[in-house]
Amino acid sequence: MGTIGATLARAGRRFVSSLPALFGVLVFTFLLMRVLPGDPAVFFASGPNAGQEEIEVIRRQLGLDKPLPNQLAIYLADVARGNLGRSMMTGQAVAKDLKERLPASLELTLTALLIALVSAVPLGVVAALRPGSLLDHGVRLFCSLGVCVPTFVSGLLLIYVFYYLLGFAPDPTGRIDIFTTLPPSRTGFLLIDFLLAGDLDGWSAAARQLMLPAFTMALFVIAPLARITRASMLVSLGSDFIRTARSVGLSWWRIVVTYALRNAVLPVITIAGIVFSTMLGANVLVEKVFSWPGVASYALDALLVSDYAPVQGFVLLMATIFVIVNLLVDLLYGIADPRATVA
Amino acid sequence: MSYMMSKRSLFAASALLAVTFAAPAAHAQSRAETLRYVTGATVNTLDPNIPGSTREAFALSMSSYDRLVSFGRKQLNGKWVFDLDTITGELAESFQVSPDGLKITFKLRPDAKFQDGSPVTAEDVKWSLDRCVTAPILGKAQLLTGSLTSADQFKVIDPLTIEVTLPKPDKLALPNLATVYPIIINSKLAKAHATAEDPWALNWTKENAAGSGAYIVETFKPGEQVIAKRNDAWNRGTADKPAAFKRLIIQSVPEPATRANLVERGDADLVIDLQASDVQALEGKGKLKVISTPQYNAVTFISMNNTIPPFDNVNVRRAIAYALPYDDMFKAALFGRGAPLYGATWADGKPPSGGYPIPQPIKLDLEKAKAYLKEAGLPEGFATTFSFNVGQAATAEPMAALVKEQLGKIGITVDIQKLPDAQMSTAINEKKLPFFTEGIVAWLPSTDYFYRNFYTGKQRWNYSSTDNAELEKVAQAARFEADKAKYEEEGKELNAIHFDQMFQIPIWQAAQDAVMQPTVDGYVYQFTRQVDYRNLSRK
Repeated sequence: MGTIGATLARAGRRFVSSLPALFGVLVFTFLLMRVLPGDPAVFFASGPNAGQEEIEVIRRQLGLDKPLPNQLAIYLADVARGNLGRSMMTGQAVAKDLKERLPASLELTLTALLIALVSAVPLGVVAALRPGSLLDHGVRLFCSLGVCVPTFVSGLLLIYVFYYLLGFAPDPTGRIDIFTTLPPSRTGFLLIDFLLAGDLDGWSAAARQLMLPAFTMALFVIAPLARITRASMLVSLGSDFIRTARSVGLSWWRIVVTYALRNAVLPVITIAGIVFSTMLGANVLVEKVFSWPGVASYALDALLVSDYAPVQGFVLLMATIFVIVNLLVDLLYGIADPRATVA
Repeated sequence: MSYMMSKRSLFAASALLAVTFAAPAAHAQSRAETLRYVTGATVNTLDPNIPGSTREAFALSMSSYDRLVSFGRKQLNGKWVFDLDTITGELAESFQVSPDGLKITFKLRPDAKFQDGSPVTAEDVKWSLDRCVTAPILGKAQLLTGSLTSADQFKVIDPLTIEVTLPKPDKLALPNLATVYPIIINSKLAKAHATAEDPWALNWTKENAAGSGAYIVETFKPGEQVIAKRNDAWNRGTADKPAAFKRLIIQSVPEPATRANLVERGDADLVIDLQASDVQALEGKGKLKVISTPQYNAVTFISMNNTIPPFDNVNVRRAIAYALPYDDMFKAALFGRGAPLYGATWADGKPPSGGYPIPQPIKLDLEKAKAYLKEAGLPEGFATTFSFNVGQAATAEPMAALVKEQLGKIGITVDIQKLPDAQMSTAINEKKLPFFTEGIVAWLPSTDYFYRNFYTGKQRWNYSSTDNAELEKVAQAARFEADKAKYEEEGKELNAIHFDQMFQIPIWQAAQDAVMQPTVDGYVYQFTRQVDYRNLSRK
């Protein structure tokens, strides 16, 4: 209990200490959006016959008629109250949009990360056990292919094969077949909500829908995870305690899994944390290809039309998630290697 | 430990895989009675009047709200298109224009009801029209073009009669009431949600539909989908019937290749915004119905800013006009899908008609182009930038490359500038771009409307920053011209000035390609360049 308490306290302190960084991100994004060329009022007043008067109306609505310091003050006050502004693009409050879309992105990213880890760790271990072998080269080839084919290409390819040609996969639009009744939204994660509602048909429909985009994304990140696993397994396998373990005649399985892998897993956790954060923001192409209603495609659309509020909200959200993921990584460190907690 | 976790999840993942790919394609209920429409755009508001409304929002509001009147349809080269000259009643059972053209009296259908069951009254109509000309919304600028500017112009005569007065006889007054904006709103419902800061309940109508239209919005998720069910009480369709489809799904699918796959696999019923290459491929396979209509109320231009040197020199503009590789651009950008506006022959050099747009008597002629450049005092050419927006990259990018290559041959160095949509709009509004491509659309495509809106004034739609006193005079005179023959003459005059001065270069009207299942029937090309869901049925 004592260790857990200490860990949590440490996590809490760490979170508080990252607040200034979040504040910096907030102000920086705010300024950046306004420095970039492109006037949202002009874009959104683009209906037939929209003239200067309409542009002024929108500018007032967005608060862009005020001087910059005032705008910033109003924005910060709003954010402090949990109001991230309104999106011109969807007409909804940004906080509401993000809240609805974040679970979609998280569900996809987590599934993809899980698939990636489940395939990358064994691949890395296998490659490390026989360095330089045909197997090692095979893993390398697979990883290179995964990382060098852009996600929208592999996504479209998977759609072409599994949906268009074979018809195995459901139509690649959104999180659920359009004719399926949605479960009551509790967590926003469809797989969990369907289970909570006890609707197994719905669950399998949602899972089917999730498979192609998750595999597309997983393919892209298997490489870094497998490479790190391989490298740290090599170090671990070559170290003294493994030689000792061998010499006392422990079983091969026990040596590899319990001693070598457990020691090699720390860098994998670190990389997995970073990979997760980048995936969440970088999966915009996957979200586009699969019409996935996630936060990344939302932010990109907003950026193209200079819709300030959603972009600012998205960056803040990403920064917060990055901080939280880093904390989680630290906590996992403590579990994988108890010495880390004390340090 | 980590490995144990992975092993367990590996098992879970493979079990999951087995389950997912083995499960039957369930949930296919009511497929035949549902129209599933996929689009790259999104519906972002339920009230088309909200600044920033998308065209998809316009299309939905055509079905969720009624207007007093609507456009009829006609055949154009064998395709059904909207007809500006036939106005029929929608909520109005009948209407009468007074002999002096200053009064229009509408008789409402006595059986028309809002979706909540309350009757549609003249009071609702007045409130809605008042709102359209008073509130800071998009309808205001549109109705202005039909001399509808003030709430005083709308008068309730009795619960089923409303009278509209005009300051001058304006032939665009009635058609304006058939456009997207003057929707008739359930005023009691809307007023109940109005506040002191928002007297016209704009915040509420943005997310709630309070109309009498053919479809009742059930779920509205901006950026994802809209699901609507049929309003069985609605009888404003042909033969006084409700709409044919019981359900309507409008789904946003950003990736054009996916939209093409969906319609080809039969999972979507109708899609309009595919890439030209995909449409061509689908048409070639012959399994789907492809209705390709040139957008006869839209024009794609290559524009030049007439106030920025060297484009302020008419001979430079003429030189450009004769140096463009029209045929190659048409093939590369549109795969030849559309109506070209070049390569015509005008007998004795005069415009053959007073319509707009008409094909121009220009074609690629480098000798002529060089001669004009010499006349402009720039025989060596010059350097400029050619801009287009990212949203139009699919067609504009190949076009820009060809423009650059071709103009290079006469010494004009072109730097291609690809701008994000908002940046492009801003630059156009500030009149900063010298040379670019853009498209225009007019809901009410009459010659004077085009010339007044796109060739006069300081507003952004005057892309070429044209300032020509004679053109302005003729266009203004044509607006209120009642004599058809005279109007035609004025149209010809405008077309002649346009060609002589070459303010900008109309290049084509791109086709609207509607790709649908062979069973889908009743598609009509609409002024909104969107689908009117009310027209469609399944054979």
